[in-house]
Amino acid sequence: MGEYRRYDEVSVGDVFPAEPLRFAVTAEAVDGFLAATENAGGAYRGTPRRAPSMIAAVYLVDLLMARRSPPGGIHAKQAIRFHRAIAVGEDLKIQAKVVEKYIRKERPYVVSDFEARGADGSLVSSGRVTSIWGRDQ
Amino acid sequence: MSVDFVSRSLAGVGDRLPVVVRTVDQQAIDAYARASGDFNPIHVDPGFARQGPFGRTIAHGLMTLAFVAEMLNDWSGGAFDETGEIDIAFTGPVFAGDTVEVTGAVEETVRRDGVECARIKLVVRAGDRQILAGHAIQPIKEPED
Repeated sequence: MGEYRRYDEVSVGDVFPAEPLRFAVTAEAVDGFLAATENAGGAYRGTPRRAPSMIAAVYLVDLLMARRSPPGGIHAKQAIRFHRAIAVGEDLKIQAKVVEKYIRKERPYVVSDFEARGADGSLVSSGRVTSIWGRDQ
Repeated sequence: MSVDFVSRSLAGVGDRLPVVVRTVDQQAIDAYARASGDFNPIHVDPGFARQGPFGRTIAHGLMTLAFVAEMLNDWSGGAFDETGEIDIAFTGPVFAGDTVEVTGAVEETVRRDGVECARIKLVVRAGDRQILAGHAIQPIKEPED
């Protein structure tokens, strides 16, 4: 098995990763995200400390890396729905499934649905990512 | 941690949402890569990006989406974090040096899972270029029992 996955190795129904990915909503992750997006983050400094929903931008990267797409891929579309607030200190479990793949204008697309759940199993976010697969290595 | 629904701040269809403006340079892109763990060379490696479809590095799409989420939270008093939804396509890249302007307008009210929601057309531009196209959905009234 190579470092990266070839487009023809991706199949509808593939679940990634095989076991849900764990993502810890740490203060460091939240602070880094707020700083990098220049978000003053007043709403995220209280006690108990709440995390921005779009910390999803961080856990989605971890999730997408689990597909082992070659470098150079492009994020084409994103749908995401938030189901509840999240707090700093929570542990989330995230998993995705390939629901469609197609080639359009010679570009190889992969469509994946994902869910993020809290430690109690409650749904935190769900959505769909459409990516252009990186060029096969 | 629950927040009020946004009905008190919603006058109706056509309402304009706040404007969030960010200037994105390569330093900001690199900082975002470190924060998100996304070191795709199309974002952080000018040599690699030169051979790609855009000819130079581009910002992460999810970085732009973070600006959108901030704008929607500003408007909704934080309700977006709990019950919001976004559905977008990235239609154009953000290049280093671009100033990105993010806003939206309430297009209509719709029902989602029995709850009245505002459907918001998102407007995200860098100068004359459209960066993304799509909408957000935000509940505006509490569910009826």
